[in-house]
Amino acid sequence: MFKLIATCLFALLSFNLSAQNKVQDEMGEFSIQTTPKRIVVLEFSFVDALASLGVSPVGVADDGDANRVIPAIKSKISPWTSVGGRSTPNLEIISSLKPDMIIADMERHATIYEDLKKIAPTLILKSRGESYKDNLAAVAKIGIVLDQDVKMQQLIAEHNQRMDAFAKKINSDKKFLFAVSSTRGVTMHSPKAYAGGVMERLGLRSAIPEETEKAYVRTTLERLVKANPDYLLVGEYGDQTAVDDFKKSPLWNMISSVKNKTYLETNPKLWSLNRGMIAAEIMAQELESVIK
Amino acid sequence: MRVRPAFVFISLIVLLLCFSVWHIGAGAIDIAPLDVFKALHSSDSEHNFIVNNFRLPRLLISGLVGAALAISGLLIQGVIRNPLASPDVLGVTSGASLAVITLAVFWPNAPISYIPPAALLGGFGATALLLFLARHLLQRPAAFALVGIALAATFGAAIDYLLTVNPLEINTAMLWLTGSVWGRNWNHLPLIAPWLAVLMPLAMLLAYRLDLLALGDDTATSLGTGVKKLRLLCIVVAISLASAAVSVCGSIGFVGLVSPHLVRSLLGHRHLLLIPATALTGAILVISADLFARILMPPIELPAGILTAFIGAPYFIFLLCRYKNW
Repeated sequence: MFKLIATCLFALLSFNLSAQNKVQDEMGEFSIQTTPKRIVVLEFSFVDALASLGVSPVGVADDGDANRVIPAIKSKISPWTSVGGRSTPNLEIISSLKPDMIIADMERHATIYEDLKKIAPTLILKSRGESYKDNLAAVAKIGIVLDQDVKMQQLIAEHNQRMDAFAKKINSDKKFLFAVSSTRGVTMHSPKAYAGGVMERLGLRSAIPEETEKAYVRTTLERLVKANPDYLLVGEYGDQTAVDDFKKSPLWNMISSVKNKTYLETNPKLWSLNRGMIAAEIMAQELESVIK
Repeated sequence: MRVRPAFVFISLIVLLLCFSVWHIGAGAIDIAPLDVFKALHSSDSEHNFIVNNFRLPRLLISGLVGAALAISGLLIQGVIRNPLASPDVLGVTSGASLAVITLAVFWPNAPISYIPPAALLGGFGATALLLFLARHLLQRPAAFALVGIALAATFGAAIDYLLTVNPLEINTAMLWLTGSVWGRNWNHLPLIAPWLAVLMPLAMLLAYRLDLLALGDDTATSLGTGVKKLRLLCIVVAISLASAAVSVCGSIGFVGLVSPHLVRSLLGHRHLLLIPATALTGAILVISADLFARILMPPIELPAGILTAFIGAPYFIFLLCRYKNW
C-alpha cells in the first residue's frame, strides 16, 4: 500500500508541470495529465493519425494481420503487437502491453469502454462509418491529447493545401462512385462514407447524391446501372467476389464507366480500411491518375 | 451405462475444476497453474489484473449461463416429453435476439446497458405469446412445441429481414447474437446469478413431480399431480432461466439440448439428481467453449456460441448412435 501511495505521489509530482490536455470525446470529457507514450489503438484510422505525427502505437487491433495497414502508413511507424480483431479486441493483450492511453472507436468499443478505462485512460472517437470531416475532427483531438496540437494543426493545414491542389488539378464534372465487393455482395460508399467524403472534398460529383443518410449502401447490379457512374472504383476483398458475377451480366457493359473503360479495381485497404490524411492523399493521387 | 451417482458427481466436479483452472490459466497470455492460485490470492502478482478483471468474471458467467441453459433444457424436455425440445426450439432465443436487434435498429443511440433488459423482455414476450397462442394445447406437448417452432421461425424471419435492410447499424447486436462471453465483466454477473439462485432450488422442489410426469399424464394425475399446473410452472421456470442466460451472452446453442441427454444416459431419470448434474455439465460445456474460443487462434477471439456446437455436436451424435433407447 505504501509503495502504491509513494508511486502515485511520485507520478503526481513528476508530471505536475506538464499541461493537462482536455478534449470532448464521444463519452464526454477526456483529460490526461501526461503525454502518452504507450498507445494502443483499436481502429485503423487512428494508426493513420499517429503515423502522421510519427508516433508508433504499441498495439493495434489489426484483425491479426499487420498487412491490413497500407505500406505508406506502416513504413512511418515501428512494428506493433496485434491486439486481435477490431470488433472483439483482446483485453488481456491490451492490458499486458501496459498502455498509458487507448484510442477506441465509439461504434465498436462502447460495449467495453468500462473495461478499457480500467486498463488505461481511453479516448473514444468516431471511426467506423465516419465521414471525411469526422475523421479530421478526430485527428485534431488526437493531436491535442498527444500534446502536439500545434504540429497536428500544421499537418492538417498542409493536408488541406495538398487536397486543394488535387482538387484544382482534377476538376471533373463526371459522376464518381467507390464500392467494395466481397463474396457477400457489393456495397456502395455514399458521400457520407469516408471515400465518398474524399471525392466530395476534391469537388467530384457522387453517382448516388440522394444517399444522405447512410454511409454504406448494399446494391444490386440494377441499382448500380441506375446510378451509372462515369468512374467506378471497386475495392475487392478476395479474388472472386460479387462484382465478378456482375461482370458476367450484359447489364454490366451498360454502366458508362465500363463503356468508357474508366472502371478501376482499387485496394480496399486503402479506400475503406485505412481512413485518414495519409490515405486520403494517396486516394486523391489514384483519382488524379485515373481521370482522363 | 448407469453409473453410481456419487461417481458421476465427483467426476463432473473434478472436470469442472480442471476446466476452470485451465480457463483461467490459458489464453493470449499464458499463466502457469501455480501462478493462477497466486494471482487469485495476492494483489502483487503480475497476473492479478488479467485474472481478476477478465478471466474470473468470464469463467463465472460462462459457468452460470451454461448451468441455466442446461437446466432449462432438462425441464423443457421433461414436460414436453420430447428429446428434441430445448429453449431454442420454443422461440425464447429468437424472441430475445429480435428484441435486441429491434433496439439496435430503431434506437441506435440506446446505451449498451439496455441490451440485457431488452433481451430479457424479448424472451419473456416470446413466452407470453407462446403461452397465449398455445393455451389450449398445454395437454398436448408435441403440438405445444410445434407452436413454439412456428413462433421461432417467425422471429427468425423478422431478424433476417432487419439484418438485410440495415446491415451495418447493428454491429453490436450482431456480436451479441453469436453468443459470446467476450467483454463480459463483474457488472454482468448480477444479471444471471440471482435467477439461477432462485430458480434452481425451485426446479429441485419440482423434481419429484417431474419424475411422476415421466410416467405419463394419466399415471401422474392418478398419483395426485396437477399436471397442467406443473407443466405451466416448469415452462415458466425453464424459459426464465433461458431468457436470463440469453440476456447476458446472446444465444449459445446446443447446451440446453445436449447436456440433459448426456446426464440422462449416466444417471437415469430421477430429476433430483439430474438437475444438479445437468447444471454441472452445462457449465463445463460453456466454460470449455469459452476457453477454446480464446486459445484457438489468439489474439483473435471467437464467439463461444460457435464452439458449443463444435464440442457438443460430435458427442451428441455419438450418444445417439450408441444408445437407441430414446
